[in-house]
Amino acid sequence: MTVRRRVAAVLLAGALALEAAAQGCDAPGTRLESDRYIVVYRTRPAKLAVGEHFAIDALVCPKGQSAPPAGLRVDATMPEHRHGMNYRATVAAKGGGRYVAEGLLFHMPGRWLLLFDVEARGSADRLATDIVLE
Amino acid sequence: MTAARALVGAIAAVAAAAAWGQESVSFTPPEVALILRHGPWPQPAPRDPSNRVSGNPAAIALGQRLFFDARLSANGAVACATCHAPAKAWTDGRRQAAGLASLDRNAPSILDAGRLRWFSWDGGTDSLWAQALRAMLDPREMGAGAPLVAKVVRSDPALECRYRVAFGGSQPDDERLLVDAAKAIAAFVETRTSGRAPFDEFRDALTRGDREAAARYPLAAQRGLQLFVGKGNCSVCHFGASFTNGEFHDVGVPFMLAPGRVDAGRHGGIKRLLADPYNLLGKYSDDQSRASATKTRHVELQHANFGQFKTPSLRNVALTAPYMHDGRLATLRDVVRHYSELDLERLHTHGEQLLRPLKLSDRESEDLVAFLESLTDPRATAPPKAARPVAGCKPRVR
Repeated sequence: MTVRRRVAAVLLAGALALEAAAQGCDAPGTRLESDRYIVVYRTRPAKLAVGEHFAIDALVCPKGQSAPPAGLRVDATMPEHRHGMNYRATVAAKGGGRYVAEGLLFHMPGRWLLLFDVEARGSADRLATDIVLE
Repeated sequence: MTAARALVGAIAAVAAAAAWGQESVSFTPPEVALILRHGPWPQPAPRDPSNRVSGNPAAIALGQRLFFDARLSANGAVACATCHAPAKAWTDGRRQAAGLASLDRNAPSILDAGRLRWFSWDGGTDSLWAQALRAMLDPREMGAGAPLVAKVVRSDPALECRYRVAFGGSQPDDERLLVDAAKAIAAFVETRTSGRAPFDEFRDALTRGDREAAARYPLAAQRGLQLFVGKGNCSVCHFGASFTNGEFHDVGVPFMLAPGRVDAGRHGGIKRLLADPYNLLGKYSDDQSRASATKTRHVELQHANFGQFKTPSLRNVALTAPYMHDGRLATLRDVVRHYSELDLERLHTHGEQLLRPLKLSDRESEDLVAFLESLTDPRATAPPKAARPVAGCKPRVR
């Protein structure tokens, strides 16, 4: 294989990977976007309850020429109460932009801000969404 | 019944009561939704996967005997029941508990303790059996060691028989037997659940749309309930059917014990928990999946934990005076006054922004007390039934 063909193969593989990731981010779930990344996530269990531990399955897809994610942090706060969770979520990378966060627990009813920090090339994009527990 | 149907029924009940001219507080739909979250009650007793004898009748019978047995203390005079007396709603009525020595904190009731996530005011233990174990070992409480507990169980034929039936025929070493004794006590404590209170009748009447039953709930308690879920914002922490979210908060109670001595509360509790060989991550948990240890694996030590104490359940609160983690407040009126006149200067500067002085009128304070009193199960101070006989074991202990 010539160098030119190798480069072409690598570019094709990269393009296919991005396409696959983009298709993955069309998967069912809650979709969040920043300028550089898409995060699609689902909680386990699907319906959250106050005082019950839950996990999050997340898929991170780079947009355009953005670098693949190097890591993901997951956290949550209650902005009106000025506090976060009493538990630190652990996040495990499963490959292909997939992550599993475990150990989350919302200990109060009200508005929680769920935070995803996508790490890439020394910086992080923060994607956030509201979850209101009654 | 779905939540939506229950809410419609509840609103209909309140509206109908008002239309018939019965004395009733007019609750808004959001208030009704919050009220319904505090039930139904009672709820099924959960089983503890970390305790292989949770729910086991022989273990419960053994645990009941051990709970009242002062031989498990270093001086032979202190039992679990010393600080958790049935006639006092399973507390001791003292400002601060006293075992072999005086303690810094108030003894909480064990009623409904099987539903808790964390144990002790600082959450320093993560299972009911680890909490029982800690009380037995603490030199200020019962001051027992594994050899003493093992000797008591092995040398008493009635206890030894029940132990054998509950745990099988193995010959455990002293420490294993100590842990098993704690698990038997936990199995008994799990059975100490509170029954229905007047509030539960009102709450369920709302759910059914039964206006006549709802109207039997005292008007002062209804007004107090409205404050509880509304202006008071109490139900944010005293959440759900157990009236606690099971977590920890700084509510402006001083944590200075004496010059140079502080009670670090949850901050110290997490440190203690993570250093505890009997926590749910350790070898004594019977939960092979370790799923029940999720809380322990993920709990986070934060600076804001300093001076935080666990939100207590409010069920039977009228029977468990004095109040707060150090028992400094003698009556429910004192507690209501504490929140009404809250000193914001006492709150942790890094803490949450939940509390503000409620500035309640005298009538509002009385109404809130009336509501809290309506959380009382009339049978909460009844002695437990005699321990169930265990096949093959003689009924009498000593």
